[in-house]
Amino acid sequence: MFDIHLDFDLLEKCNRCGACYDICPSCLNIDGYDPRAVIKDILNGNAGRWLTSVHIYQCLECHHCLEICYQNYGFENAMTAMRLRAARQGIHPPQVRRGWDMFVKTSRLGEPSLAARKKLGLPEPRESGKEEFLKLLEVYRMRRHGPSPCLRER
Amino acid sequence: MKEFAVFWGCTIQARFPFLEKSVRVVLKGMNLPFRDMDGFTCCPEKSLVNNIDHGLWLLTAARNISLVDKEAVDLVSPCTGCVSNLATAKGEILSNPRKEGEINSLLKEVGREFKGTSRLYHLVPFFHDEVGIQKIKQSIKRDFSGMRFAVHYGCHMMRPSHSLKNDDPLEPKKFDNLIRALGGESVEYSTKLMCCGQGLDRVDQHDRALQMARVKLRELKNTGVDAMALCCPSCFLQFDNNQHLMEKEGERFNVPVLYLTDLMGLAMGYTPQALGLDGHRVDTEPFLKKWKEISSRPSAAAAFSEGMKKEGSFI
Ligand code: SF4
Ligand code: SF4
Repeated sequence: MFDIHLDFDLLEKCNRCGACYDICPSCLNIDGYDPRAVIKDILNGNAGRWLTSVHIYQCLECHHCLEICYQNYGFENAMTAMRLRAARQGIHPPQVRRGWDMFVKTSRLGEPSLAARKKLGLPEPRESGKEEFLKLLEVYRMRRHGPSPCLRER
Repeated sequence: MKEFAVFWGCTIQARFPFLEKSVRVVLKGMNLPFRDMDGFTCCPEKSLVNNIDHGLWLLTAARNISLVDKEAVDLVSPCTGCVSNLATAKGEILSNPRKEGEINSLLKEVGREFKGTSRLYHLVPFFHDEVGIQKIKQSIKRDFSGMRFAVHYGCHMMRPSHSLKNDDPLEPKKFDNLIRALGGESVEYSTKLMCCGQGLDRVDQHDRALQMARVKLRELKNTGVDAMALCCPSCFLQFDNNQHLMEKEGERFNVPVLYLTDLMGLAMGYTPQALGLDGHRVDTEPFLKKWKEISSRPSAAAAFSEGMKKEGSFI
């Protein structure tokens, strides 16, 4: 239920259209970035070759393609699906991994800087929802995959 | 006005507390009914969390939203990413009752419930629609007449529009209107709606991130503006920090970067220090200097009437 699915009919039309090349900031400014090349391979069953490519991370998720799309689609969908598929196989840029690790450990992507707050005269930062988040994460993992390794040992 | 909770987000609190300062000064100065709330986590960020686990991304957003739902307050954030993520997740959950059921059965385990009843605002549409241009104009002591601004919206302020519904996603107007309300000129430029490109810095592609920043900064250098106006910590990181990095390598654009609330605060009479402007990496002094110069000159209208008085009269 929480997975992202690709609609191949829409992809097929997207593959024939290409209107987004003129507004996609990455198509316009990054050599070799071409969502339709990825879409073509997804349609031909060759998606696997893109899993380790930097291109699938060069979509800025700016949603410009989604907004102008005549079929309310946006070729970013293909890039998002490819990133998720790569993640399933443990492939992602190291920085994404580091961000993820910090998120699942602390519930945030950085802690408030206390010294700077004091200097600026800002109030104490509020409590984060870390404890509750960690509990929720455990429940979520149990439902999706069964007990996590540490629970299974117990 | 309904009470609202400020959702600061990770980036502002961890990296740019001076932006929090600027927002607080303006919210207080305008007597707006805001509060801080315990219990928020990362919104969560799309490119890091959603790219690995879509379900956890939805669930975390739903939990944050359930906190404001419970208190029956609205949520306002000075970060475009936070609002866009929360609103997108809210839209996805509300449009799918099965998903909503599954999310709520998970949240129940920690005593929470997602309803989706609270409104989620970014600061720009919030000031435009809820506070209103009139009230903003009334709070100004010294406006920005004669100053030229390049508004940078930041993609996630209004996209995806199916969930945010707060401005035209391809031709937004609200930020420009706010700049005009402050007396400034919002210049048109061809890369105005182009993404800042900061996302590339989050996926180990720093050089490409700089390349993206350059496209807009080059245009603005040629156009000649007094400052770039924005209201998103990621875009700020891209245009302030990264511009500064390029400056250190000898590439100069001279485009000071100001947060919406920096401009509002200055116009309301707060000092640059009170607004935390000394935290910016790209020097804001040339901007402040020009503003001081312009606003100490008598206005054209005043000079004209002065002239009428001085020159000999027939009566
Ligand atoms: S969302 Fe991605 S693919 Fe779509 S226009 Fe933006 S950068 Fe291009
Ligand atoms: S996303 Fe839509 S508009 Fe863009 S190329 Fe595909 S079908 Fe065409």
